[in-house]
Amino acid sequence: MEQVEKNVNNVENVPVIELRHVDKHFGELHVLKDINLSVKKGEVVVVIGPSGSGKSTLCRTINRLETIDSGEILIDGTKMPEEGRKLAGLRSQIGMVFQSFNLFAHKTILDNVTIAPMDVLHKSKKEAREEAMELLKRVGVDNQAAKVPAQLSGGQQQRVAIARALAMHPKAILFDEPTSALDPEMIGEVLDVMTGLAKDGMTMVIVTHEMNFARRVADRVIFMDDGSIIEEAAPEEFFEHPKTRRAQDFLNSVKAH
Amino acid sequence: MGIQELLSQYGDKYLQALFVTWKLTAVSFVLAFLIGILITIMRVCPVKPLRWVGDFYVQIFRNIPGATLLIMLVYALPYLNVVLSYYTCVLTATSLIPAAFCSEYLMAGMNTVSIGQIEAARALGMSFGKILKNVVIPQALRSSVLPMTNLLVATMLTTALASQVPMNPTDLTGLVSHINTRAVGGVTAFLISAVLYCATAVVIGQIGNLIDRKVRILR
Amino acid sequence: MNNGQTSIRDALYEAPGPRARRWIAAGTAAVLLLLAALIYGVIHQFAINGQLDARYWSFFARYTTWRFIGNGLAGTLTAALTAGVITFFAGLLLMLGRISGIRPLEWLCTALIEFSRGVPTLLFIYFFFLVVPQFGIKLQPIWKIAMPVAISAAGVVAEVLRSGVNAVPKGQTEAAVSLGMQKGSVFFKIVFPQALRYVVPALISEVVIVLKDTTFAYVVNYADLMQNAKVLISNYDALLSVYLVVAIIYILINYILNKLSVAVARRGETAKPVRSR
Repeated sequence: MEQVEKNVNNVENVPVIELRHVDKHFGELHVLKDINLSVKKGEVVVVIGPSGSGKSTLCRTINRLETIDSGEILIDGTKMPEEGRKLAGLRSQIGMVFQSFNLFAHKTILDNVTIAPMDVLHKSKKEAREEAMELLKRVGVDNQAAKVPAQLSGGQQQRVAIARALAMHPKAILFDEPTSALDPEMIGEVLDVMTGLAKDGMTMVIVTHEMNFARRVADRVIFMDDGSIIEEAAPEEFFEHPKTRRAQDFLNSVKAH
Repeated sequence: MGIQELLSQYGDKYLQALFVTWKLTAVSFVLAFLIGILITIMRVCPVKPLRWVGDFYVQIFRNIPGATLLIMLVYALPYLNVVLSYYTCVLTATSLIPAAFCSEYLMAGMNTVSIGQIEAARALGMSFGKILKNVVIPQALRSSVLPMTNLLVATMLTTALASQVPMNPTDLTGLVSHINTRAVGGVTAFLISAVLYCATAVVIGQIGNLIDRKVRILR
Repeated sequence: MNNGQTSIRDALYEAPGPRARRWIAAGTAAVLLLLAALIYGVIHQFAINGQLDARYWSFFARYTTWRFIGNGLAGTLTAALTAGVITFFAGLLLMLGRISGIRPLEWLCTALIEFSRGVPTLLFIYFFFLVVPQFGIKLQPIWKIAMPVAISAAGVVAEVLRSGVNAVPKGQTEAAVSLGMQKGSVFFKIVFPQALRYVVPALISEVVIVLKDTTFAYVVNYADLMQNAKVLISNYDALLSVYLVVAIIYILINYILNKLSVAVARRGETAKPVRSR
């Protein structure tokens, strides 16, 4: 036990996710400009900014769903490989929750959660199922386990997607606008689950438009605009005293709604 | 000729012909399915020239009339010193054409899988092969049950091409032409074959619906 | 972002890394080489069998050859058009019968539709070629090919039209009825025109089937493209080259029709039709 503690302490200084001088173009468009970011273990980083600012792309580069043109991305100090088994292996250590849930349409809720642990981590069916049921209980959809995704509400599907990510015991979870496709009355249930994760010490990178949630849960807020990180601050500081004009304008426009 | 006279004289020939049609249909369909899968793999493969070949195959064989293809196989190929038996010619025509449609349906089936699901699988650490095995192929197959059922019926209809070459025993269509050119078979001779075809098609359709209802993916 | 074109083909693979890029480059080179070898092999096979000799191809430079092919094509198109018109109206009647609400008529039409869809065109052709004359009825060749082709396509067209009618929102009928329109005029003025718009792509695809089925015209001695090809073949003693050209003509026409169907479907945002022949 002590040995394990010590190990954790040793790697404490190594960020779970680190981006160094990351640049990316979509054709003519320069979508990420010299991005530097590091996320410590247990930290919750919320990325906000106007649409088209590159925040979603940033999130997707971290597990190489988007390639980058230059710079490097490190997971737990290991450089993200470009392809093959190593890439798949590193990806399995980083969870991801999408805007449109992306549950596997032909699988039951339970199978959605067990498939990757069984097929990627080679866990036994029994073990995977037991753990999946626990996770489904944790996100409050254990009574839906035998259904298929289309039978669930958006909020329930997104909670299943979170359980699916958790089943891999990830070092961190990326949330790419997890509540943007949800009806307003379902946003709360998903944010509650995420708040719970944050409290339990999960390392999280969250792209969102939910400002109150950001303020409540974030350890650090990143404000992006036009492909660059404009501001990086603790939530109190950012929301009360934004330094740049662009951040002030953005916060005003968000408040106006 | 009444139905009783016709059946007593040609009954076992009809039975034989029915089996010829069934066998041709089954063998052609299996071949078409295998070729269709191969063509589809080529069409989605990252090597561009293989995609061209796959696309080219589909455009040729979904657009060529069956009669034209069969006639070329039977009469034109020997001029290139390739001589195939009549049976092989028929089987080639009745599997190459459905294979093109098979590939189209498989492509359509794969297109029902959202890109998001593939990304989700990727993010979970699944390799390309695992994504195919767990996400893409099962969904593509399940959503192409009805098209494949239609394809099986269409393949059966295409096997009537066998009546255009000398074959012994002949198929259901060939038999009608055989009976009518020898005796006056009348409407009955035609109707027996037609009903046998039709009954087969209806049964295939019912089974297809049954399977589809079981495996259909809710969206 | 993901319309039909940027389809699964591109989503299936992620952006390749350096090793994958090398593999793809090597694969591309290998396949190109193989293709070149294949094409060479085919041409070589033509050459050693004398099929590249000028006498097999030179007559394609003559105007009369193309006029002859043109006549054959006109025959094919006439037969296809005749069959197409019959198919449409027969399909319409079958569809109307099937949704008429009169039980026996519905059963009859459903049975006829299944019969039309489940029996090969060739069998219908033999019916018109061999059976009909036994009743002393003498038909001209065009009818001997157009009628069976039409009968064999009518069932599918009936089902296509029915799916179009089902796709028209119920509110359209309700609105028309609430305006005091008669049942018949609601259907033909409001519902059917909209239904037709939905199914135009599927109907174009059906034209391809009809056109392909007319190639059986040789059975009934109707002068279509395939029949005229036979004349060319005996005139010039050139079978392979003539059939090759004829096949290419058929493929091109059907290719264009299919492209048209897809283009119309995309414009109207209706589903792509599915037919397997």
